[in-house]
Amino acid sequence: MSELPPIPPPEQRPLPPVPGAAGQRRIVLPPHRQRARRPRSVRAREWVRKNLFNSPGGTLLTIVAGAIMAAIVFGLIVFVFFSANWEVITHNRWLLFAGGFPHEEAWRLWVSIAVVFALIGAAYGTWSSFGRRDHLFVLLVGGFVIFLMAHGGAAIWSTIYFLIAIGCMYLGYALTIWMPRETSTLRTVQQRIVGGLLAISLPIVLVILLVGGEVGPRHLDGFVLNLILAPVGIVGGIVIGIPLALGRASRLRTISLTCTAYIEIVRGAPLLGWLFVALFILDDIIGGDLIIRAMVVMAVFTGAYMAEYIRGALQALPRGQYEAAQAVGLNQTQSTRLIIMPQALRISIPPMVGQAISIWKDTTLVTVILPLRELKGNADSAIAQFEFTPDRIEAYVFVAVIFWIVAFAMSRISQRVERAQGIGER
Amino acid sequence: MRLPSLKGRRLVSALLFAGAALVAGAVIGACTSDEEDQQAQATDQQQQVMQQQDQPQPRAQASGEPRGDTIQLVMDRGTLKCGVKQTQPLFGFRDDQGNVTGFDIEFCKAIAAAVLKDADAVEYVDASDASTRFELLADGQIDILIRTTTITSSRDMELDVDFAQTTFYTGQGFAVRKDSGINSTSDMANAAICVQTGTTTEQNVADHFTDIGLDYEPTGGLSQDVAAAFFEGRCDVLTADASDLASRIVVRDDADDYKILPQIISKEPLAPGVRDYDSDWKDVVNWVVHGLLRAEEIGITQANVAAMAANPPNTEVARLLGVPFGDGEVAALGFDVVDAQFIQRAIAAVGNYGEIYDREIGNAIPRDCTLNALARPLPAEAVDCGPGEGGIMYALPYR
Repeated sequence: MSELPPIPPPEQRPLPPVPGAAGQRRIVLPPHRQRARRPRSVRAREWVRKNLFNSPGGTLLTIVAGAIMAAIVFGLIVFVFFSANWEVITHNRWLLFAGGFPHEEAWRLWVSIAVVFALIGAAYGTWSSFGRRDHLFVLLVGGFVIFLMAHGGAAIWSTIYFLIAIGCMYLGYALTIWMPRETSTLRTVQQRIVGGLLAISLPIVLVILLVGGEVGPRHLDGFVLNLILAPVGIVGGIVIGIPLALGRASRLRTISLTCTAYIEIVRGAPLLGWLFVALFILDDIIGGDLIIRAMVVMAVFTGAYMAEYIRGALQALPRGQYEAAQAVGLNQTQSTRLIIMPQALRISIPPMVGQAISIWKDTTLVTVILPLRELKGNADSAIAQFEFTPDRIEAYVFVAVIFWIVAFAMSRISQRVERAQGIGER
Repeated sequence: MRLPSLKGRRLVSALLFAGAALVAGAVIGACTSDEEDQQAQATDQQQQVMQQQDQPQPRAQASGEPRGDTIQLVMDRGTLKCGVKQTQPLFGFRDDQGNVTGFDIEFCKAIAAAVLKDADAVEYVDASDASTRFELLADGQIDILIRTTTITSSRDMELDVDFAQTTFYTGQGFAVRKDSGINSTSDMANAAICVQTGTTTEQNVADHFTDIGLDYEPTGGLSQDVAAAFFEGRCDVLTADASDLASRIVVRDDADDYKILPQIISKEPLAPGVRDYDSDWKDVVNWVVHGLLRAEEIGITQANVAAMAANPPNTEVARLLGVPFGDGEVAALGFDVVDAQFIQRAIAAVGNYGEIYDREIGNAIPRDCTLNALARPLPAEAVDCGPGEGGIMYALPYR
């Protein structure tokens, strides 16, 4: 309270601004509504009084809530900067990041990261733009990563590679942002190129990571495993989900029954159970590497959910859309491809992103059920190192923060997509 | 997908069914022929490698049928699939570079060196989850389970697991705060006890408190969680293997505030597990462990094993290392499945038992005068024991 600036005497208050020069139209409010023009300190003080100390009860609530918040913030600061031993993280950053991935093949990781970052930048440049908050997010996350790499034995080359990856993101952004947004052939070509690259980005990354050399799927480990499993689950789920949704809505009973049975059976059992199937049953049916089986199960499981979201969107479309498509002479395939699916996919983006974030967090289940080690599993291994056994809170807080960062980025990007696609507007 | 007529729809349905059936048939066919190919290949290789052995037994699915082929599987594959824990301090964890390491892992390496002549030919399969470890073994996803697993009669008799020579003896103990005033379990009436659920630990403590007629309040969870709960003061007593308690306390800054009660309420012999009905494989595992122990008893180390093999000081060293003594022949140890020098390779790869202990556990769990020390030479002469003595680690004779 005492730190609030004093109210300036009335005569020092600035006069209402005059209308702008050069014929610009500016709205001048009548004097009784010119509160926004008063100095910031006055407005702040008024806001505080009105919102925090408007009555004895309000004052009490403010003080109690403020005390609790201050205690939490104080506790957090003490934990983060004084009591926590972050060496468990900085010392084990390779274990947490890539675990058993061969060191001599680490370039594959960096190239993949650079490719993904460049594509994200290009996508932003094509359909959206970086705002101040996006730069802040990149700055904070980048600073966080570089901080990790600078402590506990500085990893100079990794830092440089990471900065190059960030640079690739801004390069991709710079290459795409200058294109005028008006509809033109060039713009269409640009959208097609970036969209196509995005569509095949996952296979590209998998090829970079796994083809040739000494690496195989079984080397996917740590955070890298989460980062591969979740997109495979999400993209595979959409690829499986679209035909399932169309199939379930089909008038052919065989098809619709088959698709319904698939959806109901897969959705009726928890992912945990399906991972057991991957471990003990798929082993004898399709064989192959356990990680591949886990990917298949993730995609199959997500597919059932995605199908239901898309089916919901299909049913939400007004019948007029179908009829209009028929009226202009489109056949079934054309109307599905050109009229129905684009709208249905747009409508189903919010629930699909929800499912994507859910499957992102569910990637930790592979450590619980399968003999695979992702980020949380490797954090468990890090705190099993003799000198770090007391530091489990630090390890789990770090894992939580990492999961939050990725989930938050997914959420933000999906909001951008929604805005760019005009969802919620009709 | 609107189709013009009912007839058309039926046609599509029929076609779909036919297609599905075809695909299914093709898949099943492909799988079967693959298996046959693999079996044929395995047979060829086996006949080349093992002339003296009979036709290979097909891998039986149900236990109860003979199937002594793990060693052949391992040799054909060229790697050992070792099921290990990756979250147990000292015994099985991962270092900062992602390498699996620890006391148990040394035995995986020793066995790989003995069988495959390459200590690095090991594929570590994560068996950290206590509830699926035996299924992984029974299902054939691992060749051997080395992850702080206690031998118990029910596991041995009911599950598809057979235990080899114990690598580490421990027992269940209790840790308390020094100022708690608890000196034995009889002081623990209504105490909150942190105990890992789903393990022998939980059953032991329940049995013990039934026996002494006291009530207690169990607080369950995973092993690292119950330890943390204890150190955060959420329970009065932590019970676990005494070695685990010691290793979790000694690393703390406030280690002096805690003590481990001298009372031990159970036997926990930790041993490698292999599948039932697999004598050859169990023999190899067994005798690698015994060989590492015998090497410690007679002073063969990682450093001197090469010199000892080149110039064995006596017949026993020569026999253990599989080299001729003087002008004699190589004394056959009677193994059909591995060559005579398998112990020599294991020692060269990881050292003898004592060296493994010192390297992986060292002072975190003192060894002298514990069960894991070497047994006193017979007959017992002294009442008190010297360094490295006083235990029950007793290698069986090589002859």
